[in-house]
Amino acid sequence: MMKSIIVTLALLATFYLVNAQQNYDASLISKDLLPYASAVVRTDELTVEVQDLDNTIVHAKMAVTILNENGDHMANIELEHDKSQVIKSVKGIVYNEFGKPISKFSESDFSDNSSWDGFSLFEDTRIKSFSPSITSYPYTIAYEYELRLKQSLSFPKWVSASSFGVAVEKSSFTFICKPDFMIRYKEKNLSEKANISTNSKGLKTYAWEVSSLKATKYEPFSPYRDNYFKSIEIVPEKFMYYGIGGSFANWKELGKWEYDKLLAGRRDLPAETIEHVKEITKDISDPKLKAKKIYEYMQDKTHYISVQVGIGGNQPFLASDVDKQNYGDCKALVNYTQALLKAVNIDSYYCVVESGSDYKVSMMDDFASMDQGNHIILCLPFKNDTTWADCTSQTIPFGYLGDFTDDRLVLACTPEGGKLMRTPKYTFKENLETRKASFVIDGAGALSGNMHTIFKGTNYDERDELVKESQKEQYKIIKKIYPINNMEIETLDLKQDKSFDPMTTENIKLNARDYASLTDGKYYFQLNPVNRITKQPPKQVRARINNIYINRGYTDEDEITYTIPAGYHLDKAPLSLSINKPFANFTSTMELKGNQLMYKRKFQLIDGIYDKDTYQDLVDFYQDVVDADNYIVTLVKGS
Amino acid sequence: MKKKLFILVILIALIKFSIAQDFSYNKITQQEIDLKNYQKDTSANAVILNEFGKAEITLSYNNAIRLVYEYHVKIKIFNHKGFSNGTVEIHLKNNEDNSVSDEINNIAGITSYKDDNGITQVTELDSKKIYTTRDYKFQTTMKFAMPGLHDGCVIEYRYILISPFLDHFHSWQFQSEIPKMNTTYEAHIPGFWRYNVALRGPLKLTQNQSDIEPNCFSAGGGSSGCLHSVYEMKDVPAFVKEEYMTSPKNFLSALNFDLLEYTNPYSGVKTNVTTDWKDIDFRLKKNPDFGAQLEKKDLVRENIPPAILDIHDDTERAKAIYKWVQTWFKWNNYTGIYSVDGIKKAIKQHSGGVADINITLVDALNAAGINAEAVLLSTRDHGVINKLYPVMGDFDYLLANVTIGENSFFLDATDPLLPFGILPVKCLNDQGRVFSFDKPSFWVNMDTKQSRINTYVLDLTLSEDGRLKGKLIHYSKSYDAYLKRKSIKKFNTLDEYVDNMEEHFNKIKILKSNIENIDSLDKPIGEEYELEINVKNNLDSGRFILNPYIFDKITNNPLKLRERNYPVDIGMPSENRYIITIHMPPHYTIENKLPDQSLQLPDNGGIFTTRFENTDNTFTFSNIVRFNKAIYQTSEYQYLKEFFNKIILAEKAEIVLRKKS
Repeated sequence: MMKSIIVTLALLATFYLVNAQQNYDASLISKDLLPYASAVVRTDELTVEVQDLDNTIVHAKMAVTILNENGDHMANIELEHDKSQVIKSVKGIVYNEFGKPISKFSESDFSDNSSWDGFSLFEDTRIKSFSPSITSYPYTIAYEYELRLKQSLSFPKWVSASSFGVAVEKSSFTFICKPDFMIRYKEKNLSEKANISTNSKGLKTYAWEVSSLKATKYEPFSPYRDNYFKSIEIVPEKFMYYGIGGSFANWKELGKWEYDKLLAGRRDLPAETIEHVKEITKDISDPKLKAKKIYEYMQDKTHYISVQVGIGGNQPFLASDVDKQNYGDCKALVNYTQALLKAVNIDSYYCVVESGSDYKVSMMDDFASMDQGNHIILCLPFKNDTTWADCTSQTIPFGYLGDFTDDRLVLACTPEGGKLMRTPKYTFKENLETRKASFVIDGAGALSGNMHTIFKGTNYDERDELVKESQKEQYKIIKKIYPINNMEIETLDLKQDKSFDPMTTENIKLNARDYASLTDGKYYFQLNPVNRITKQPPKQVRARINNIYINRGYTDEDEITYTIPAGYHLDKAPLSLSINKPFANFTSTMELKGNQLMYKRKFQLIDGIYDKDTYQDLVDFYQDVVDADNYIVTLVKGS
Repeated sequence: MKKKLFILVILIALIKFSIAQDFSYNKITQQEIDLKNYQKDTSANAVILNEFGKAEITLSYNNAIRLVYEYHVKIKIFNHKGFSNGTVEIHLKNNEDNSVSDEINNIAGITSYKDDNGITQVTELDSKKIYTTRDYKFQTTMKFAMPGLHDGCVIEYRYILISPFLDHFHSWQFQSEIPKMNTTYEAHIPGFWRYNVALRGPLKLTQNQSDIEPNCFSAGGGSSGCLHSVYEMKDVPAFVKEEYMTSPKNFLSALNFDLLEYTNPYSGVKTNVTTDWKDIDFRLKKNPDFGAQLEKKDLVRENIPPAILDIHDDTERAKAIYKWVQTWFKWNNYTGIYSVDGIKKAIKQHSGGVADINITLVDALNAAGINAEAVLLSTRDHGVINKLYPVMGDFDYLLANVTIGENSFFLDATDPLLPFGILPVKCLNDQGRVFSFDKPSFWVNMDTKQSRINTYVLDLTLSEDGRLKGKLIHYSKSYDAYLKRKSIKKFNTLDEYVDNMEEHFNKIKILKSNIENIDSLDKPIGEEYELEINVKNNLDSGRFILNPYIFDKITNNPLKLRERNYPVDIGMPSENRYIITIHMPPHYTIENKLPDQSLQLPDNGGIFTTRFENTDNTFTFSNIVRFNKAIYQTSEYQYLKEFFNKIILAEKAEIVLRKKS
């Protein structure tokens, strides 16, 4: 009995101690921080202390008030660990609405799972995770943890808020190191300056603090989040990484280190393979065509399988391994292709890129650091004709990057050192979808005819997955792509021209009964049968904060001729619309001549950054397009 | 003569067994290498040339009884799209403290392909390239990718899995996403164990043989013969998934084994595992994670706020209990029919699995003097239940069934937004089994009378400058009310919800809004908006053209297949009503009336009607689409598809208003 009282007292004491530091009563949160917030960070203290090149201690202290279930994700704690990152301790307390402690948790309450990304064959990172089960809101979770990093190349990055809908009362970042440990740092969207000083132990400290940040609301057409969330990233000059030492001050030196320590000496191939590559290219003299032949050989032989092991997942498998297994991830396949190219004396670069179709994210030209990229591509520096290739697809044409890695700064790791290079841009005029169709609508409302479409630029690969399917599947998918009810495909023909200016051609012969409906002597059908913007226009945003960002431009052109039953005339004014804006152009017109109805549509979106004040213009533009695309032709008998 | 016949029988038996032998490893024929496509399905990216499995209960090392499962497959891969068949995952189970676990032996793989010179080459799987990942507490996965894949290659791999978990006798999937030319399963089961064997799916076995092997098993002094069975299918077509279908499991051809009884060979003690429902009732009642938890009404009562217990009306008291359990727990996303650590712990932690939460609900209702029972069922993804004999593994979910007077309701307290008596769609599947322990368990249809009901009522006045001003009332009832609440809760406040809606409809200005019954879960949600819609789209002078479907328009037929192999399952019946009244400006008249429509699906399956009425300068247009069934059979498919077609055609029509000259 006595013992249990003591335990209770001790428990109360700990509660009291932690509680004494801050009162987590939810009603103390300033009203200014509540709009659009589902969680409020009360305190966030991140401290990184480099004790030695192979020993960095990360200490984090966090308290978040969860206002409703949309904020629950902020109460989840997930800590990665692997050979180079060890969790030293983690514990925390959950408080109710009034700031009274209701439960405690420690490392034993965490579950430990593989951090499988859903597609890799293997990854050596694991995740310890915990989420409290609280059903009444608001509540507060306060916790702290300590990690030990056995490397000093890549430190945790500080960000003000990790997601939309999160407000911040106070957040700070402190970096501690020996006076002779040199660093560089990159602040983003931060007006607060670093406070640099020396602490009582004679260690150098860099400290930042922010407070009272409102929750960020999602805005459509926003720039990449790094452009508006506050963040700080720190890199060392001298470092140790998985037992490999190095130092760098710029991209040249970092790229050199990557080349020397992670890439060099991994390109040996069996003699037969070298012979084979020489054999298949012996009749080709142009180096670019030679490289194309080798790339196609690699595509044919290998396929993509992701295996993330070893030096932070940054070192490719041996080329000889890929040669035997016929598979590899992006690193391994680029390295293998380089090895094949080397066999015929063609130079190439191993390039780190941040891939993604939604945003074009560049390496920061003024701040070199590891971890800025997530993908590897190949660069072939032919004279006046720098050529690029992604080695993870079995089907894309040589020299084609598509929207995944185009138009951004990448790091080429060369024997002479790293250098930033820009991948080619596909302009809005080059990204084409051009369609010509000729349809007959008969007296019963059935539509039939041919449709011919050309895809170019980043649109080239729009049918790439479809081409690989069986005819049966192709028909199924085409019916989903084109919103014509009752559509039946008579013939479908897809052609891919994989030259240096690739193009896909699609020819469809189709029919659809009941395309037009006959009601009360009138004849109705939708003017734009296939290429409608069917979604709502982008939502309006009041008091928009971000400028408009259009990641990719393109041009769609549709030209359709309908032959309609004789003896009808239009019942309402024909569609005739032309809008020109800095960010887009649109024309949509129709003309009835005898029983021939001509429909022309051109939609052009122009990539770039536009002032936030023109956003309503963009919404209205889309609304006009949606309305025009929904135009229904009404015909009545008689002249 | 007699003797001859006997020999013949033995001979036949021998032939049978030679047929059941595993096919030879690493014997690839030239024909297999040369194969260009699979004639019976030329669209296949890969085809299983041969697949063999063998499961037997046998004595392993240390004289431990183990279930030994051998798997061996040979696959022809025609092109890159078939390469995914070359990535293999094997899951290994273990118990709570990892003291016993599945073990894997003899993984071997080989890829054969024709090189550029037309010579067959082979690449063997490197054991260093087999990766092991500890997924979570109870499972480890081994993964490998077959080496040297080429278009047209043949891969072959095999392994042996040794398991201490005898109640998981491996089922056999005859059908998969790629076709199979031959698939054979062989089972050796000593007489100490008896399993029920059930074939699911429409395909027929091409071979189904059973024989007794005498004295094939002995352990601890006991010995027995084995039941040796061979099951085989040839030319199995690929399974193609369709949209709007329940679990593919219900249609895939597979063989399942359910342990019926076993005799401990050492002690001779016989245990019935699956016999009849009477026996199951008895055993579930004694089960510490099931029956024992359902008897904890006294424990639960201590936690119920006394005010709830004081409610006089039974229905109101039951509703209050339901609400209390809903808000007490946060579901930990664990689904299952047994309590994990006991409901006592779950109550203390405010967190638990489906069984913990709903057992607590049953106990709480009983504690409050309301008759409640546990119902076991199978969720939609888990498939339908075998009704021929009890299979506990067929159940994966537990609900409460409460009876108040004449009425009974199914309750699921894992989601705080579910109204009383309404179930998540995943639970609307087949039948459930009700357990009350004071009477025999029985089947009930998982039929809740719930449906998706949605009504739009618009009353708008058109002004000559092309604006519609007036009121929209949108009611969401039954399951739609639940879905609506879920979508509203995605916003931090009601104001944010309304703001977002207005931001989404560019042409609509919301002047005033009122949302009713957001927290009264049993009532329909009524959203009332005063709004202004800008419709000045087609400015023909003196004419005004309007499509009456301002909201809720169907423009695309969801059913696109020409023919359908499996039923269309939409989960539950639904009803959408759309009523719009428009007051025209003075001096305007209607040029064309919309014709009234009325269309019915056969067998009272559904109805589509429209009505157009006008008086003076006001007209009202109403539209009802109702689906009365949750499941439409393939024989009804064409009607259903045409039904959508007719709705879409009708929704294209426009009303023309003309200024009187």
